[in-house]
Amino acid sequence: MAGLTFSSETRGQFSAVARVRWQLFLNSMRTIRGRMEIVARVFTFLAFGMGGIVGSIAIGFTAWYFVYSGRADWLPVLLWPVFLFWQFVPVMASAFTENVDSSNLLRFPLTFPCYFLIRIAYGSLDPPTLMSSLWLLGMSIGIACASPLLFVPAAAVLLLFAIFNILLARMLFTWMERWLAQRRAREILGVLFLFMVIGFQFIAPLLRHFGNRSQPAVSRVALQALPIERLTPPGLAGEIIAHSLRGEYPLALGWFALLGAYTLAVLWLLNLRLRAQYRGENLSEALARTAAPMAKQQIRPGWTIPGVSGAVSAVLEKEIHYLSRSGPTLFTLVMPVVVLLIFRFSPGKTDGAGGLLGHAFDLAFPVGAAYTLLILTNLVYNSFGADAAGIQFYFVSPLRFREILLGKNLTHSLLLVIEMVLVWAAASLLYRPPPWDIVLATLTGVFFALVVNLTAGNLLSVYTPKKVDLAALGRQRASQVTALVSLGIQAAVLGLCALAILLARAYHHLWLAAIIFAALAAIAIVIYFLVLKRLDSIVLQRREAMITELCRA
Amino acid sequence: MSTSATIAAPAISTEHLTRRFGDLVAVQDVNLRVAPGQFFGFLGPNGAGKSTTIKMLTGLLAPSSGRMQILGIELTQDSVAVKRQIGVVPEGMALFGRLTGSEYLNFVGRMYGLDRVTAAKRTAELLDFMQLVDQPKALVTDYSHGMQKKLALAAAVIHGPKILFLDEPFEGVDAIASNTLKSMLQNMISRGATIFLTSHVLEIVERLCSHVAIIHRGQLVAQGSLEELRAGVEAQAAAALTAAGAPHEIDAPAPAPGAKLTLEQIFLRIVGGTRRTDQELSWLG
Repeated sequence: MAGLTFSSETRGQFSAVARVRWQLFLNSMRTIRGRMEIVARVFTFLAFGMGGIVGSIAIGFTAWYFVYSGRADWLPVLLWPVFLFWQFVPVMASAFTENVDSSNLLRFPLTFPCYFLIRIAYGSLDPPTLMSSLWLLGMSIGIACASPLLFVPAAAVLLLFAIFNILLARMLFTWMERWLAQRRAREILGVLFLFMVIGFQFIAPLLRHFGNRSQPAVSRVALQALPIERLTPPGLAGEIIAHSLRGEYPLALGWFALLGAYTLAVLWLLNLRLRAQYRGENLSEALARTAAPMAKQQIRPGWTIPGVSGAVSAVLEKEIHYLSRSGPTLFTLVMPVVVLLIFRFSPGKTDGAGGLLGHAFDLAFPVGAAYTLLILTNLVYNSFGADAAGIQFYFVSPLRFREILLGKNLTHSLLLVIEMVLVWAAASLLYRPPPWDIVLATLTGVFFALVVNLTAGNLLSVYTPKKVDLAALGRQRASQVTALVSLGIQAAVLGLCALAILLARAYHHLWLAAIIFAALAAIAIVIYFLVLKRLDSIVLQRREAMITELCRA
Repeated sequence: MSTSATIAAPAISTEHLTRRFGDLVAVQDVNLRVAPGQFFGFLGPNGAGKSTTIKMLTGLLAPSSGRMQILGIELTQDSVAVKRQIGVVPEGMALFGRLTGSEYLNFVGRMYGLDRVTAAKRTAELLDFMQLVDQPKALVTDYSHGMQKKLALAAAVIHGPKILFLDEPFEGVDAIASNTLKSMLQNMISRGATIFLTSHVLEIVERLCSHVAIIHRGQLVAQGSLEELRAGVEAQAAAALTAAGAPHEIDAPAPAPGAKLTLEQIFLRIVGGTRRTDQELSWLG
């Protein structure tokens, strides 16, 4: 980052970018939809803010207790969750994370350090960063309350830890964006993921093997792992504070230097990516191929889907092409299996073999299914987002929007079916095959939820569309209003499902839940077709707003 | 609508077509009439209402008031029937960036009701004609601007429309591609299609179009064949000369003695003159 001098030109550029963002914010309030977006954003930030404040109090109190009772060595127990949350949540929920496109800044005479700082500044204003920062603030206050003299070193360490995390999160994001942009890299990642899933199959027997050993043997393994943990960033941050508390300043400084070195290494890796972007890197798949002059092409005829019209088949084919070329979306679709893996191998309250689900192995399939519905939200509730200027074609073509949306709904349903099969396979492999009544109740429940989501999704796709970029990580997020409404709908659907399951359990027959879900699905289907029938007139009313939003540069 | 009525009807006609955006009247009382088989140029300065008009005629924008008929069919009454007969290259080109060129054309063909085999066959022919076969795997988003324009035009004609609406089809297109497009459009006209285009390149309009309309500040200020427009402007100039008794100062370039007025000169005389810039922006290098 050498060469960053705050000349008047640089200062002017920073203030111009800040001013233009502010002006864009003000201009967005000119429309009703823009005002609704801001209200929804305020709600989201309030929710995350509450999480940040409550978590900050809890972490602060625990940190106070650790330091006060002379157990500063235990601080990594707090730092690890913060670290994991900071790094994994933005990547795991990449579909819900906003990644600002700053490529249009490149035409201005910005120096690289200036560009770098702008990217970091705007890329870091996401809820996980804000929440994690609040937690670290709470922690430093807790430490300061327990030992006022420790405030300065603790604040310095936690600040460096925060900087490390901000840079690491951006670095992971930019490198993943790079890997997911090209098919070959996606295939390699896919194979690695497959190996990882297979590899996890061997972890369970290993865990059982160690779990059966006597307690001292397990402790010995933990003790052997401790020196390695101390060299990790959360371990290092905890160590520095503990050494400072004991007055071992040279050691603390040494560890501080090591944490600083980690930060510099991450900075260097991030620098590599951003410099490539600054030079105008194009991650297009097509450019990697050599252009081969061809004679008249043999064009493969489009797909035929039995039972639906040619136009609906064409929409389905087009949607599948879009999804198959979207690395970030494919990555998101793998997430339900990853969640089950995490549940399986996270420390549980029992013997460690059940993970977070404890003895409730049978819930693995419903949990995976529920998560699948959640990750499909961005696709289902913003069906035209990726079409961008292509929306104009739908308006000039002789096709009714109900057919177009039917094609898109079929694609999303097909995707859900594939996901369900994957989740069932993962649940069966990681735990055990779920009993038939659970499978039946889950499938009927998911079907009901799907129909409700498609109905609401079709309406919100028309009322609050948002242009998204399927090729770039973190640019698939639907509008804030959509996010908030879809959250409410998911909560209502899950509430209904929970009620049905409770009722079924009360009568000791889980298949009763399946019957209730089937009845609810039947009602939902009627509403779905009623809405579909009215969609063309709604779309005509919303035509200008849709084109304006989706065709914007 | 009977067949004979459809044949007799103008290809495009509007009555008192008006579009307001809040207080702004973008298009006011426009009465257009385009006969079948005409190559019609729709001209106007920036912000005059050209794109708004073409958007209304193609179903991308609802009019505030007035009527529109395409091939004798009321657009607001049966938009699907109209859309089957027309092809459109709108301002934003309406492309799907994450498809390849062949996938896009195939998709468009099937959306217009072509069967799979016909759509595939026409896709191959169009890609070949437009010289877009070089990069079969390239995504549309990676095409150059000119290639995208050619692809958009190919998509607009894949179903063999009777009327073609083109919003700035030659913008950003190189001379070779421009030549390809022009020859294709002229072929369409010779086979009886009607073309309605907006363009800022007046030389191209003059060479291609048989009829022209000029819109200025939302109002239609001239309409007719090139000769009719030329005669009108010359008559106006002569009248002004007679009334003043001296050469009237017209703020637009004059033709060389004995030469006919070019479309650019006609346009400038109708919508207003040129602007002196030699005293302005003196800081420019």
